[in-house]
Amino acid sequence: MILNINKKQYTVDIQGHETLAEVLRDTCGLTGTKMSCNEAECGACTVIINKKAVLSCITLAADVEGEEITTIEGLSDGDNLHPVQQAFLDHGAVQCGFCSPGMILASKALLDQNPKPDQNDIAYALDGNICRCGGYLKIFDAVRAAAEEKSSVKDKKV
Amino acid sequence: MNTDKKEYTNPVGKSVPRIDGRGLVTGQAKYTFDLKLPGMLIGKLLRSPHAHAKIISIDTSKAEKLPGVKAIITARDTHLIKFGSNEYFFPQTIDQMAIEADKVRYIGDEIAAVAAVDEETAQKALSLIDVRYEILPAVFDMTEAMKPGAPQIHDALNNIALILPVNFGNPDRALKESDYVREDIFYTQSAAHCAMEPHVCVGQFETFSNKITLWTSTQAPFKCRESLAKCLKMDLNNIRVIKLAVGGGFGGKLEMFPMDFAACLLSKKAAGLPVKITYTREEEFSFSRRKHNMIYKIKSGVKKDGTLTAITGEVIADGGAYCSYGPTVLAAAMMRIFMVYKIKNFKITGFRVYTNNPISGAIRGFGGVQSGFSVESHMDLLAEGIGMDPVEFRLKNITTPNMVTVNKIMLTTNGLKECIEKATRACDWKNKRGKLKHLCRGIGIGIAADVMGSKMYKAHESAGSIIKIEEDGSVYLFTGAADTGQGSNTALSQIAAEELGVSYTRIKCTAADTEITPFDTGSFASRVTFISGNATKNAATDAKKQILNIVAEEHKMNADELDIKAEQVINKKSSSVIMNFDKALELCYSFNYGRQIIGRGSYNPKTTPIDFRTGEGNVSGSYGFEAQVAEVEVNKETGQVKVLKMWDAHDVGKAINPQSCEGQIEGSITMGIGYTFYEDLKFKNGRVVNPNFANYRLPRSIGTVPIETIFVETNDPEGPFGAKGMGEASLLPTSAAIANAIQDAVGVRIKDLPITPDKILKALKEKDLMEKSKTKS
Repeated sequence: MILNINKKQYTVDIQGHETLAEVLRDTCGLTGTKMSCNEAECGACTVIINKKAVLSCITLAADVEGEEITTIEGLSDGDNLHPVQQAFLDHGAVQCGFCSPGMILASKALLDQNPKPDQNDIAYALDGNICRCGGYLKIFDAVRAAAEEKSSVKDKKV
Repeated sequence: MNTDKKEYTNPVGKSVPRIDGRGLVTGQAKYTFDLKLPGMLIGKLLRSPHAHAKIISIDTSKAEKLPGVKAIITARDTHLIKFGSNEYFFPQTIDQMAIEADKVRYIGDEIAAVAAVDEETAQKALSLIDVRYEILPAVFDMTEAMKPGAPQIHDALNNIALILPVNFGNPDRALKESDYVREDIFYTQSAAHCAMEPHVCVGQFETFSNKITLWTSTQAPFKCRESLAKCLKMDLNNIRVIKLAVGGGFGGKLEMFPMDFAACLLSKKAAGLPVKITYTREEEFSFSRRKHNMIYKIKSGVKKDGTLTAITGEVIADGGAYCSYGPTVLAAAMMRIFMVYKIKNFKITGFRVYTNNPISGAIRGFGGVQSGFSVESHMDLLAEGIGMDPVEFRLKNITTPNMVTVNKIMLTTNGLKECIEKATRACDWKNKRGKLKHLCRGIGIGIAADVMGSKMYKAHESAGSIIKIEEDGSVYLFTGAADTGQGSNTALSQIAAEELGVSYTRIKCTAADTEITPFDTGSFASRVTFISGNATKNAATDAKKQILNIVAEEHKMNADELDIKAEQVINKKSSSVIMNFDKALELCYSFNYGRQIIGRGSYNPKTTPIDFRTGEGNVSGSYGFEAQVAEVEVNKETGQVKVLKMWDAHDVGKAINPQSCEGQIEGSITMGIGYTFYEDLKFKNGRVVNPNFANYRLPRSIGTVPIETIFVETNDPEGPFGAKGMGEASLLPTSAAIANAIQDAVGVRIKDLPITPDKILKALKEKDLMEKSKTKS
């Protein structure tokens, strides 16, 4: 079976019951995707599938063949961090970092759908992602900043 | 990171990006959770299903025959050695075996472990181990456990593992001479750490050298090594504990756990194949460590003018099946009061009680959360009793700079007064307190103090650092301090760069590996910035001196006349530049000199040992302070409380990294808000009934409360660049500040956490009835 992860083809030999989180981590070696509860309650395993934030711990790998899967490893462009990653770094939105891959991908998925989210939109989009270290204020700052960065880049292009 | 070096010279006081930040945001940081070694086996622990039972027999023969099983251990494979956390101060509390032999004392006690080729096989093997138990009567309520005739869990009389009597002055007389005396009883619940990375470890035995390497998600690698060596009966130098990135700890990863021991021993039995054990989230909630639920009885007296005359009381802590860090948690729950309030007459007795509940241990705040809620709620009630404003009442009774408390705590810098003044000014206390009742809104304050380290398992509390500077000018910092996400590697690197006079971008930080990095007792008691920071500063001073000696020799000057500032070696007097840092390093490693620059530093805080029979002693080299205000709105129809805003003024000494300091404060307050309203680890007959994030509620992004942080910088002369530790204090007064605000808003007092809508509604109803009966009579 072939999985399309971060625009690369991964040929994987998997069992039917294996979750995407397990396959990403154990078979593909993409350990940036974390697992903290393994029962769809914490958001640490969030990846993006076809532009939508999805919990990879309750997604069967076999179900996403042919879909476009983005993990945290696929977000930066070489040395250049994605604006959401950069904003998380700049705004101190990362402490232990274990929730960060999921949090960053959930934020990216939000911004792709809603480029100018208000505080409420951000809180609702991230409510499935637990951060235990720092609370959510700095994460909100980061997402807002990334949104501004994105819109200013767009303005420049226009 | 931007490599513009100028931007990152003199980094202390600047919010430089985290040294490990890029790894964390790109998913490249490696946690123990991510570790995979060739031939790695998966380990699982067999746990007692009974809360209290004798082990009659364990038969592993069927499990051993299961294909794929590589090793099984029971107590027969161990030296039956007990470990614990407070061996130095409380040897009687060393009470847990890594694998229990004769008796189990809670649902989850480890009695065997299996290593197999995969998780499924390991799990199946556990089910094939035949254990016969003789079930014993169990006790789950701490006050029941203290009664004569209660089931005996250890050899402790009335299941009291430890009594701590703290007694100063003449409290009985002082109470008699008081104008107003009141007694309150507060109840606080248990809670879970919920670090996002679960407890996880990989143990590997080297058959050719009889050496063990353990990678573990820990806050205290050296403490872990010590307990492992003890239980495995091995020399310290044959055990290497390595900490990778750690996904949070919050006090839950301060010890060696049976899993660490089992992974090492299983690997030995499996001919050296590495063994990985990972807790499930259910194991995290049910079998790791938890917060002590406490009963806090407190009776105090005051004079009409608001002077506190005496504080007395009794604290009972449900310790669960073993002691863990319980003794220090209990001590801290009682003795923090001395750092906050000037009090001469004091008598509180603490009881740390065994029950057949899961094991209570350290958790962020170390007993200070339970006592913070109790004491700070009580102080508001005392102020109310004499008709005094709670802020005025506190200002009258708080400790001051440069004072010695009745139990010989030496307070040096103390920004508590300034914290109270700044927090109350920021929140507009004068115009809000008592004046928003028509909106069902109120405002409340809580204050707290915290230590910068505390001797918990050794006679000393030292930290060490090594700094090597190579010929290309790269600065390598080696510290034993455990960054568990709080950002200590960043803060220590800032301190190193500041002291060396170079850019922060030069620093590379390695932490922690017991074979490579210097000894450090671990990340707890808000100690790392202060203690490990001082060690790092000393190492940088040493390295700098070595460089300056060589430059001075070359230029025939005296090294005392030189310094390094902003990447330049300068003449101190004239500020003229002699050479830049890179050139200086080239010189150090040149043909003529060829001297390696290796700085070393060590720091042990100036403290005096605490006498736990009396409570006397100076536990910390400095103390941190803070004041917190909550503004709330109560819905009288539903009983729901909305926290509108929190203000936190914090004496951090000096904010090494203001953004990280804010992160600590915001994280603490968020955790405190969760504990105040809904975090509640519940048990039924010793079993955790909500061992998952669906049923154990914790703060999520919806409902996030705005927080205003105010730094009070007292520049402690003993701290590195004036800094104090600050990772825990902001959690201590949160519950009380909120409870006090609720009282201000709607006039009801909640004395048992968590504050649920039901409790508010019940209290409102009772208040209504009282008022009605008053008007009738």
